[in-house]
Amino acid sequence: MEESFLEARLNLLRRVQNPDGGWSYFPGKQSWIEPTAWAALALYPDPASDRAWSLLKSWQRRDGSFKPAADVQAPNWATALCVNLATVRGEASDKAIDWLLDSWGVENDFPLHTTAKLRIFDPERNFDLKAWPWKPGESSWVEPTAHSIVALKRARPHVHSRARIGTGEAQLIDVRCPDGGWNFGVPKVLGIDQPSYPETTGIALLALQGRTDIAHSLDLARKWVAETPSPMARAWLTLALRLHGIEPPENQAPVGTDMLITAIEALGAPGGNHALLKTGASA
Amino acid sequence: MSITRREFLPLAGASLLAGYAGFEGGKPEPRRAFGPSPVAIVKASSYSEDLASKILEGVRACALDVRGKRVLLKPNLVEFDPHTCINTNVAVIAAAYDVFKTLGASEVKIGEGPGHRRDTYALAEMARYMDVSNFDSLFVDLNRDNVSPVQRFADRGEIYLPNTALRADLIVSLAKMKTHHWAGATLSMKNFFGLVPGSVYGWPKNELHQVGIPRSIVELNRIFRRSFAIVDGIVGMEGNGPIQGTPKAAGVLVMGSDLPAVDSTCCRIMGIDPAKIEYLQMATGQLGVTETSRIDQRGESIRSVRSDFQLLKQYADLRLA
Repeated sequence: MEESFLEARLNLLRRVQNPDGGWSYFPGKQSWIEPTAWAALALYPDPASDRAWSLLKSWQRRDGSFKPAADVQAPNWATALCVNLATVRGEASDKAIDWLLDSWGVENDFPLHTTAKLRIFDPERNFDLKAWPWKPGESSWVEPTAHSIVALKRARPHVHSRARIGTGEAQLIDVRCPDGGWNFGVPKVLGIDQPSYPETTGIALLALQGRTDIAHSLDLARKWVAETPSPMARAWLTLALRLHGIEPPENQAPVGTDMLITAIEALGAPGGNHALLKTGASA
Repeated sequence: MSITRREFLPLAGASLLAGYAGFEGGKPEPRRAFGPSPVAIVKASSYSEDLASKILEGVRACALDVRGKRVLLKPNLVEFDPHTCINTNVAVIAAAYDVFKTLGASEVKIGEGPGHRRDTYALAEMARYMDVSNFDSLFVDLNRDNVSPVQRFADRGEIYLPNTALRADLIVSLAKMKTHHWAGATLSMKNFFGLVPGSVYGWPKNELHQVGIPRSIVELNRIFRRSFAIVDGIVGMEGNGPIQGTPKAAGVLVMGSDLPAVDSTCCRIMGIDPAKIEYLQMATGQLGVTETSRIDQRGESIRSVRSDFQLLKQYADLRLA
C-alpha cells in the first residue's frame, strides 16, 4: 500500500537519523539542533524521538541554553525548540526557560534604547518592545521571537513569563510589513517599505494564535500557501494555518532531501503532531 | 542629522564591546608591499554572449592557475525579484563553471548562504540557477553545511565557517556590481558574507553587523585569502541597492586575484571614489591595493567603460570626480 504524505515523511526521518540520535539539515552531514528538535517533535512519541531528546539534553549548557551542534560552543535561539520538546515530554526545563527570559535584543539596552528615545537616530521600529535574538548580543528578529513565544506560552503553567510573551507579540505586530506579512524583522529601510516573505510569515503566525488583529495576515498566508514555489514556505504556512483553525490546501509535494522541511511538513500534515504547537491566545 | 538604526547598530555594538570587553580585536595582517596587481576588464554587453570566452580571457590576463585545485564558486544569491537584478546572473555562473573545469580544476562546486531567505534551493530555483547542468549535485547550501571554528575573527575570538569553503583551494567570488545602502557598494569582498553560516548566526547574520560591516568584510577576506573575483557588471544595480535598486547595464566583467584592486576598479567604473569606501580603505595595504598606480589594468581601460551608477542622495559624496 502506498505511504501517506505523513508516513512518507516520518519514515524518511527514521531512516536518515544520525547514529548520535540527531538529524542534519541534509542526510549524511552533522546533526544540528534545529532539524533534530523539529524531527523529534514530528516523530513524538516514537523511540527515534527519545534518542533525539537524549542527544539534545547532552547539548544543554551550564547557563541553561542549548548549543546548535556538538562542536559549536555557543548559546543558540533553538533553545526555545528544546523548551517546547521538554514541555511535550512533561520534563522540567526551568534553566532553559530562565535563559530565554533573560535573552533579548541589544536594541533594548543602553545605548541603543536611550539614543533611539532621544531621536538621535530613527530605529524604524519600537525599541521599547523586548523580543529575541538569534544569539545573545545581537538585535532581535522575527524567527527566534516567534519560537520563543510559542515555547513560553506552552510552558506557561510553569513560569511567570506573561510580560515577555506580551511584549514579544507586540514586537511581532510592530515589525509586520505593510502587506500584512513578515520578513526577518525589518519592515522599513531608509523609510522604504520592505516586502515580507512567505516562510517568515508562516513562522510569525505560529506565535500569534488566538489574536483577532491578524485577519489580513491570515488572508495573505492563505494566498501564499497556494502560490509559493518554496517547499519550506509552504510547510510553515500549512502548519500555521492549521494552528489557526484554517484548513490548508492539500500538499501533494514529493518528499524531499531537506530534513527541516520534511519535519515541518510532517507536523502540518493531516494526523501530524501540530497540536504539540497549539498555544491559544496569550492572556 | 538623524541616522538609521542599521547605521547606528554596528557603531554601538563595537563601542559596547570596546567599553566592556577590553577590545583586543583581531591582529591585522602586517602591512606589506602589494602590487602591481593585475585586474582585467572585459566588455560583455549581454548574458547571451559567449561568456566562457570572456571569462577565460580575464582569467588568462590575470595569470590564474587552477590546475588540480578544488574551486568553490560563490555567487551572490540574496533574494529574488523578477523586476530587478539582485543576483549574479546564472549565465555567468555556468560560464565560470565551464572555464574552471576546462582549465583543469580538480573539483568545481557552487556554494552560497543567503542572508535573508531560509529556503536556499527555492531561491536558487527562482533565480534559474538550476539551469546550470547538474546544479543539485554541485551546489552546497553554506548556511547549513558542516562547520569548523576559525580563531581570531575581529573581537569575537572565533567564527564558525562552512567546511566546504574552508577546504577549497580557491574561492571565486562571483559577485554582482551593485550599490549598497549601508556599505556604499557591494562587490567581490562583501560577497563573502554569504560564507557565514546561518545555522550558527541566523538570518540575517547579525553578528557581522554588530562587528561592523566594513570590519567584517575585511576579516572574512583575511581568512579566505586564496580567492579570485569575477564581478558581474553586465547588468548591475544602481540606486537603492543591494535589493531594491534599479538595473544598470555597465556591460563589463571585472576579474582579478587582488580583491581590493578588483573592487576599487569596479568602484571607478561605477563612478564611485574607492577612497571613500570604508572597507576598501581598511583593506588597502593589508589585503591588496586600491590605488590606480598599483593596479595593472588589463583589457579595457576604466575610462572606456565608466558608466556612473545612480547613488542614494546620502551617498552623493562618494561620487568620483
